[in-house]
Amino acid sequence: MKRKVLVLLLCLSLAVTMLAGCSSQPGSVTATPTTAPSDGGSQTPEDKITLKWALWDYDSTPYWGALIEEYKKVKPNVTIEYTDLGSTDYMTVLAAELSGSGSEFDVVTIKDVPGYATLVQKNTLEPLEPYIQAAGIDLSLFGGITDQVTVDGKLYELPFRSDFWVIFYNKDVFDRAGVDYPTNDMTFEEYDELARKVTDTTFGSEVYGAHYHTWRSAVQLFGILDGKHSILDSDYSFFEPYYNMVLNQMKDGVAMPYTDVSTEGLHYSAAFANGNIAMLNMGSWFIATLISSLEKGDYDPELCGNWGIVKYPHAEGVEPGSTLGTITGLSITAVSDHKQEAFEFIKWVSGPEGAAVMARTGNFPAISTEEVKSIIAGLNGFPKDEQSKEALEVSNLYLEVPYAPNVSEINAILDTYHKMIMSGEISVEEGIAAMNEEVAKLKK
Amino acid sequence: MASGTSDRLARSRKRRTLKKNLVAYSFIAPNFIGFAVFTLVPITFAFLLAFLEWDGNNPIKFVGLENFQALVKDKFFIASLKNTIIYSVGTVPLTLVTSLGLAIILNKEIKGRAFFRTLGFFPYVASLVAVTSVWTMVFHSSKGPVNAILYYLFNVPKEKLPNWFTGNLVLVMLILFSVWRFMGYYMVMFLAGLQTIPRELYEAGTIDGANAWQRFRYITLPGLKPTTFLVSVMLTINCFKIYDIAVMLAGGSTNTLSVSSMVLVYYIYQNAFNFWKLGYSSAVAMVLFVLVLTVTLIQFRGQSKYANE
Repeated sequence: MKRKVLVLLLCLSLAVTMLAGCSSQPGSVTATPTTAPSDGGSQTPEDKITLKWALWDYDSTPYWGALIEEYKKVKPNVTIEYTDLGSTDYMTVLAAELSGSGSEFDVVTIKDVPGYATLVQKNTLEPLEPYIQAAGIDLSLFGGITDQVTVDGKLYELPFRSDFWVIFYNKDVFDRAGVDYPTNDMTFEEYDELARKVTDTTFGSEVYGAHYHTWRSAVQLFGILDGKHSILDSDYSFFEPYYNMVLNQMKDGVAMPYTDVSTEGLHYSAAFANGNIAMLNMGSWFIATLISSLEKGDYDPELCGNWGIVKYPHAEGVEPGSTLGTITGLSITAVSDHKQEAFEFIKWVSGPEGAAVMARTGNFPAISTEEVKSIIAGLNGFPKDEQSKEALEVSNLYLEVPYAPNVSEINAILDTYHKMIMSGEISVEEGIAAMNEEVAKLKK
Repeated sequence: MASGTSDRLARSRKRRTLKKNLVAYSFIAPNFIGFAVFTLVPITFAFLLAFLEWDGNNPIKFVGLENFQALVKDKFFIASLKNTIIYSVGTVPLTLVTSLGLAIILNKEIKGRAFFRTLGFFPYVASLVAVTSVWTMVFHSSKGPVNAILYYLFNVPKEKLPNWFTGNLVLVMLILFSVWRFMGYYMVMFLAGLQTIPRELYEAGTIDGANAWQRFRYITLPGLKPTTFLVSVMLTINCFKIYDIAVMLAGGSTNTLSVSSMVLVYYIYQNAFNFWKLGYSSAVAMVLFVLVLTVTLIQFRGQSKYANE
């Protein structure tokens, strides 16, 4: 008898646990009415609403918390609940989260364009046009960046952060070598010459004139600064002079060999913090890192405390200040139940108020105003020289990766052959030929 | 009356078997349900997916054999298939021989036997991230001790020092690393196998005048047949599944595998979760499945033939 009861109980408990697994939809969601974009935010202030926001590295990125706090003051009835998906494979995890209809996110942060392309292709994002028109947002404030991520006339994200590449340099290294600092108007020849001048190849006390991180952007994308080429071209021969320049620098000890940087997994920040690198081409996000790491004592000010920035070098005949950029944007999910409220939020974050919050934390907001630049240039720890302040002026910003339907595959192909060229497995010509061939296959 | 009793008896027996079965099923159920939900259904679906086009969200499209036709023309797929096969062909026999050798040596009554057994097993239990970092340092192209020895002792000029994690060498590194990492584990299995061979056989062999080689050939090897079979099957399956070792050793800081080090599982992952070509990546997975299945079947046939000798 006892056993019978036990068996019954066991079976019952199994059945219950099985069913429990199926019910992942929280009951409260269905009760909330969906708001159409035409409503224009006619929510009464009493309505308490929770927006779920996907982001990464909350603890080490000061602006997430600052944005949430500030928004609470503007809209006390809206609670922002964030989910930290981690930065390493953020876009992959996000794409998996948004697959099917089980997602609970209202607002998602878009980390890069290939990931954005994937989400757009998967129809998981809400087109923002109707909202943008209703709210009367002037997209020209974004300086043309939004055009580069517009898909068939539809925009699916509003950028709130925009970074651009500059040259970071270590003034102490230049002083010791008795070489003049780099300037805001350098051609690639001048840049190469300068890097060679400041280099010291003495065994044990090497000084590298330049340093290149393992990302393909750090080398290939010198080639897109003339505004005539993009990585969506199927002919990549415009990479060639830059590959040759960098590979020759590595061969001559002007830059650390790619294989060393890659196998060691040497982070660019660690490389620069070592104090034996004269110039490093990197995105403006490194400014905030440098300032805060020096302040906290993570980096030795004796080694890299005396730094400055200058504009990216440019090809002959191209306006100085042309550089690469990346944007971070916010999107609304297609399954969100609070689309209008979500839009209000992303409008605020990407607008002037959000921009001020971003600038105060040392980051570059997507709408770049004089005020924003002066906030950043006035940050404690930002170099005091005029050149560094001037370097914040960008004349042309080209996205590292503009939108294309199969951009993640193009990206992977370029990454693969970049690695093979840089590690000397294949020659520059062979690598570029292979890139051309493989990318052409995708377009068919 | 009599028939009624037997009826009742039969019924109660039936009920008892039913109850017994229910109890048994309820014990199997937790595991089986987990297996069904997380393994069986996805695997069955993966078979179907190979003939479909799906990105995880948009409507599924049936494409027939298109995915497989595209495979034949795909340079990256062919490279990863080739690399996986070369890696497995290199790793399986080498690991078998080294782990068997280790087991035989460490089965002898030598001093510090337990210590050396632990030493052999250590690479397997050590964290993969830690040991791959050590390997990348040891074989570092400009600062590693291996290249330093080549440079100082063998006078290899600086520009000719090998770059161990690129080109053709990377597969050699993967094979060496895997042999080093796995031999301890399979050594333990061989050690267990060696314990099952009766000592008397060796004594009889010695009395009959068999030398060491003959004792090994005619006593040890046949005695280890079941173990060898198990080890070779497990090893083969493990080798075809290679992913983490390749990415950790050859991926560099961007975790990108080049054409010379790309393996099937990496390519499956890349297609599924970077490109969201779930159908195509399932097609690659099917190729891997068929490959492993074929090799295992061959091993099974070899085993039964060998056993009947």
